[in-house]
Amino acid sequence: MLEVQNLHKVYPNGTRALTDVSFNVEDGEFLVVIGLSGSGKSTLLRCVNRLIEPTQGKILWDGVDVTAATGAELRGVRRRIGMIFQQFNLVKRSTVMTNVLAGRLGYVGTAGSLVGLWSAEDKAQALRALERVGLAEKANARADALSGGQQQRVAIARALMQNPQLILADEPVASLDPVLSHSILQYLEQLNREEKITVVCSLHFLDLVHRYATRVIALKDGQVVFTGLPQEIDKARFKEIYGEDAIEVKAGLSA
Amino acid sequence: MARLSLASLLLPGLGQYLDGRRARGLGILGVILAMLGLIWWSLIPQHLSLESRPIPLKGDPANLAWLVVPALIWAWNVWDAARPETARGWIPVSLASIMFFVIGWQAAEINPPVLASNVDRVMLIIRPMLEPDFIQARAEEREGWVELLVPCPAEAPMTTAGSDHAIGVALDAPCGSVGDTLTVTATGLTPDVGVELIWQSPIGDFFPLRQADNPTEFRVEKPDAQGNLTTTFVVPNAIPPGIDPTLPQEQRLYIRQSRPLGGWELSTNGRFILQGIYETIALALMATTLGTLGAFPFSFLAARNLMSSNAFTLGVYVVVRTILNIVRSIESLIIAIVFVVIIGLGPFAGMMAVTVHTIAALGKLFSEVIEGIDPGPIEAIRATGANWLQIIRYGVVPQVVPAFTAFTIYRWEINVRASTIIGVVGGGGIGFFLIQWINLSDYRAVSAAFLAILVVVQVMDFVSAKLRERLA
Repeated sequence: MLEVQNLHKVYPNGTRALTDVSFNVEDGEFLVVIGLSGSGKSTLLRCVNRLIEPTQGKILWDGVDVTAATGAELRGVRRRIGMIFQQFNLVKRSTVMTNVLAGRLGYVGTAGSLVGLWSAEDKAQALRALERVGLAEKANARADALSGGQQQRVAIARALMQNPQLILADEPVASLDPVLSHSILQYLEQLNREEKITVVCSLHFLDLVHRYATRVIALKDGQVVFTGLPQEIDKARFKEIYGEDAIEVKAGLSA
Repeated sequence: MARLSLASLLLPGLGQYLDGRRARGLGILGVILAMLGLIWWSLIPQHLSLESRPIPLKGDPANLAWLVVPALIWAWNVWDAARPETARGWIPVSLASIMFFVIGWQAAEINPPVLASNVDRVMLIIRPMLEPDFIQARAEEREGWVELLVPCPAEAPMTTAGSDHAIGVALDAPCGSVGDTLTVTATGLTPDVGVELIWQSPIGDFFPLRQADNPTEFRVEKPDAQGNLTTTFVVPNAIPPGIDPTLPQEQRLYIRQSRPLGGWELSTNGRFILQGIYETIALALMATTLGTLGAFPFSFLAARNLMSSNAFTLGVYVVVRTILNIVRSIESLIIAIVFVVIIGLGPFAGMMAVTVHTIAALGKLFSEVIEGIDPGPIEAIRATGANWLQIIRYGVVPQVVPAFTAFTIYRWEINVRASTIIGVVGGGGIGFFLIQWINLSDYRAVSAAFLAILVVVQVMDFVSAKLRERLA
């Protein structure tokens, strides 16, 4: 279980990104975080694996205090949390295989990985991960030769290499068109259901939220303004979260 | 408004400063202070003067007239304090520019007529430079000599003669005084090939004998068909100043013959140039290789985006960055002087200097490349639980390789140029020979060295440009 307790984040320039954010995520949930751009979704996700240092508050994961972890202990926490980004964040000049293998870095020795030596086992796992996202034949292509949707699938394969118990997905489909959005979210849904991997995912489109989320929290100006089931978000709630002038836009192509 | 004007009248820029236009106020004050300082300095008479190069107009009371410029700017500043919207900025800027331009002209001792007045001196350099001393016609040099005492001692001595190719040289007298006419007989010469007569002074200097009726031309005599030569010459005054001219000294007359063999060969200086160029290229290559290897680790420590995670690493970043900046600002020529003291003359000292400069310069460039990379992959690799070295290897290195390679090739080009000059301070390579030829006024060798440097630099530029083109 992931417990976020009274989390605050103030950036050095004074921006209050998160204010007193508390919520729990049960194992096996597909939690979707919604909110306007700048409402603190990305900051929240990055605080969970400490890519961003929270200013105040606690994050407990399976009873381990993530916020207090340092050095090797922190890396040990990170390697069990996969992360997927809006911009995919692949190393564009490296091959797909290398990008996927990089997901193992938290598990392998430093010396071997620095010279690019990978065990046959790791390579086999990488190929299985690529097969799983349907890109095994692209293993030796350069990452920047792939389309956006393919790159995001490589990023999922990289996250799979971590044998994660939790996947953080920061707007994983915001750079993709609607068809690809569903394809990517279906991979995440599949991992969530079959592998029992907890997913915490931030999304923009409400129809995607309704389709995939098991539970939703909404952020507004860094504060939690709603926690509940996706179907509870009606017109009134929507205006509350997104402001009076908001009009709902659909990602389209309900799958 | 009046209050601000009064403030600016008392202290230039104060009104603007109080008005909230702080940069403008400080700028006005700075410019006026700099001008007053300059005028004051130009009024002080010179205490330390080099006879030949007085600083023009230094100490001239007429410089006081320049006060009108800061006075005008001062007045403008009062206007600006009251009505900033009507005060035109170009007025003080152009006033200040005129003054700084004139003073700069004086300080740099700019004197265009000199460019044209020394044409004859220039020609002394240009003319030999048109005949670069790199190759020469193949020829066989042969010489014989005879030794005599000048002036004659009380007791008549024997003359001695020598030769390296069976050229016999004999005189009709065993000694002579300056101005005596002697007859020399030489045998064993190649028939019909010109012969030079060269005098060697008591301290070993050589003076070709000149034609009596045309002293600007050297004497060249032709032996007969049997290879014998008999000719007369006047004993020259070759006793250097400081030596008693009445004391008999051993001096020599050389008979030298150069027989063309056909074809061309490298001249002695040409061989030195080849050796120098060879050393220069090797020096540049080694300095670039070692410098790149050295710059690589430093560049990561000097990249802010990788080092800002905590106070300790940020401290390392500041220290490394500062050191790189300091070393980078010292010319490799100056670093070379230090290494010549430590190591001694030769290419090793030059290589060390260029290497150190390369580490600093490339370290800075590399770190800027790293700072400009996409932070996304770094974030992603960090999220996998990778440690710092793994993040560098998988998140940073693949992104920077093309730019690093391009900068390294570019640096190689710079290093070739630096290596040509590093020898001037004793760092080896072509510059080592070049500076000696310049000191000896051997402009034929200098021009050959210039040409060699030109060829090498052009070839390197071309190769470097092509390589970088292919990388892009």
